[in-house]
Amino acid sequence: MEETLAVRRLDRLGVVLVVAGVAAAALLPFIYVKANRIASGKPMLLMQLLDQPSVAILTLLLVLSACAVLFLENAYARLAISTLCLAALLAAIGFVATSFTPEGSTAARMTPGGGFWVLLAVTSLIISDALVKVRPRPWMRVAALAAYACLLGIFLWSGLLDSLSIMREFANRGDQFWAEAWTHVELAFGSLAISVAIGLPLGIVCFWVPKLRAALLQGLSLIQTIPSLALFGLLMLPLGYLATHVPLAAAVGISGIGAAPALIALVLYSLLPIVANTVVGLEGVDPAVRDAAAGMGLTRRQILTGIDLPLALPVILTGIRIVLVQAIGLVTVAALIGGGGFGVFIFQGLGQTAMDLVLLGAVPTVIFAFSSAVILDAVADSIRGPAA
Amino acid sequence: MVMLKRIALAVSLCALTAGAVQAADVVVSSKIDTEGTLLGNVIALALNANGIKTKDRIALGATPVVRKAITAGEIDIYPEYTGNAGFFFNKPDDAAWKNIQQGYDMAKKLDYDANKIVWLTPSPANNTWAIAVRNDVAGKNNLKSMSDFGKWVAGGGEAKLVASAEFVNTAGALPAFQTTYGFALKPEQEIVLSGGDTAATIKAAADQTNGANSAMVYGTDGAIEAAELTVLEDDKSVQQVYAPTPIIREEVLKANPKIEEILAPIFKSLTADELRKLNGKIQVDGEPAKSVAEAYLKEKGFLK
Repeated sequence: MEETLAVRRLDRLGVVLVVAGVAAAALLPFIYVKANRIASGKPMLLMQLLDQPSVAILTLLLVLSACAVLFLENAYARLAISTLCLAALLAAIGFVATSFTPEGSTAARMTPGGGFWVLLAVTSLIISDALVKVRPRPWMRVAALAAYACLLGIFLWSGLLDSLSIMREFANRGDQFWAEAWTHVELAFGSLAISVAIGLPLGIVCFWVPKLRAALLQGLSLIQTIPSLALFGLLMLPLGYLATHVPLAAAVGISGIGAAPALIALVLYSLLPIVANTVVGLEGVDPAVRDAAAGMGLTRRQILTGIDLPLALPVILTGIRIVLVQAIGLVTVAALIGGGGFGVFIFQGLGQTAMDLVLLGAVPTVIFAFSSAVILDAVADSIRGPAA
Repeated sequence: MVMLKRIALAVSLCALTAGAVQAADVVVSSKIDTEGTLLGNVIALALNANGIKTKDRIALGATPVVRKAITAGEIDIYPEYTGNAGFFFNKPDDAAWKNIQQGYDMAKKLDYDANKIVWLTPSPANNTWAIAVRNDVAGKNNLKSMSDFGKWVAGGGEAKLVASAEFVNTAGALPAFQTTYGFALKPEQEIVLSGGDTAATIKAAADQTNGANSAMVYGTDGAIEAAELTVLEDDKSVQQVYAPTPIIREEVLKANPKIEEILAPIFKSLTADELRKLNGKIQVDGEPAKSVAEAYLKEKGFLK
């Protein structure tokens, strides 16, 4: 009974994906051929490009994938076909972009259109749906992520995608890109480490002292409602004052602009999920287990480290996952107060109406957030696994 | 008591070393927009070439962020526009801002008195609100200045202007242009983009979206040339002048007095035409601001 239900649900999702893919391929431009970075560009549909071998192969694979999604029950087969399709999609956009780039031109830009992005999303969804059906172990999911990252890496390394607009922007800013990437990682993980160091003890105290819980959680919820840009701005004044009037503060790197206000704002946003999940996780521990431990003569501290925290860990890890993904997104705003990160490209791109430059900031941010979520999920599941 | 004295000594030692580090490196900054990034790189490259060590905080953020940073002493030098001083010192309606020399003198005096910030030699360019028309329309109707535009529209010329709501409604912008140059656009001759910036209006005029043939622009927008538009000269000085000027904290200037003479000839050479060309290289061709700045300084002989 359960099995037939699962199949029917899959079909419904498959139909939606196939319809979306067909509509995007038929109606939305696959690529824009632009004379320069801010020109409107000539839209090209997939069917206008069929004379190119790479596009012909892609179309064939798209049809095959659609059939696989609708009629094939074997998840491994669907996975194989849709992965091939993904590779063909990346190859096709690279070949098409190269074919339209005038010889030696540095100004011309080949920007992927809506058709490409929808097909990319649909193919990725088909792949992840097939992956879920295979029910991989946690470490297999990380391995799959690494495999797809390698696939992307091979495409980037081969130079096949170098004619694409986003790669042109990258080529112009190679060194800066890696510096901003490192800043982004530092800010995201740095704020995570600090907020775990503060939030975990706070959560434990909240669990022990119920009176404190309501007040603290409400206070932290209030912080969450402050728009990020406003919070970054609000922190500049007091920190700037501190930096100019307390020499020690300046000596340890506190200042109104740059990493300090960004880090503080990120920690403030991160505290709620960590504290709340710690409290919920501890509350979920069966009191009988705790009683038994107390009966065996364990101290309060032994119960906390030996019973409570290990049992609450999966829930706490979920909170950490939320915080990390949220922080990776929020770091982009830090660019406005000199904090750096991928947001630099997003805001410069917006200022120049250069969407390719916006993508150079946005796409790595999305990939970074997605990979972190998959890895942390796998960690949480592998911990939950033996307990269940 | 002895303990307290020791702590005080330690703190002041820290302060001294922190101060020494700041004095050694000039912290060069700029706003995050195209022209700011360009001019910030120009300043940093010029100082480095003349043996003054700099720390790069270019493209720091929007105007309020950069402004707060320099008054707090966290950055030392950045390019600012003369007309903006009217907003910093809460006298935006003063007539002096409409004259490049008077506006510069007033900005220089106000900022020095209040913050000990020195305004160095400005560029002769003016990055203010202006109206640009499509080259084909300008050529056919012989439009070069706002006076020409006023006569053309008043005589039934079919202008269709795309502009932001702010430009259309602010008393000092389109309404002031209309009164001074004696024309009135009918509602059907205006396309108002509520939050529109010049990048959007230029694109609309270039693509003739909804029949647009003229656009609100800033005088040194990099996209103007690529979009085949002509900026009309504000021949009766309706708009306030926004001349880009390097501004520096007095303390830092005293420690490095050469900065004034290094930057003066460079900023004098940065006319509106030059800035439009350089901004265009960044915005339209996608070249990095640093290499555009470097190429310009080499071409003009400021850099070897």
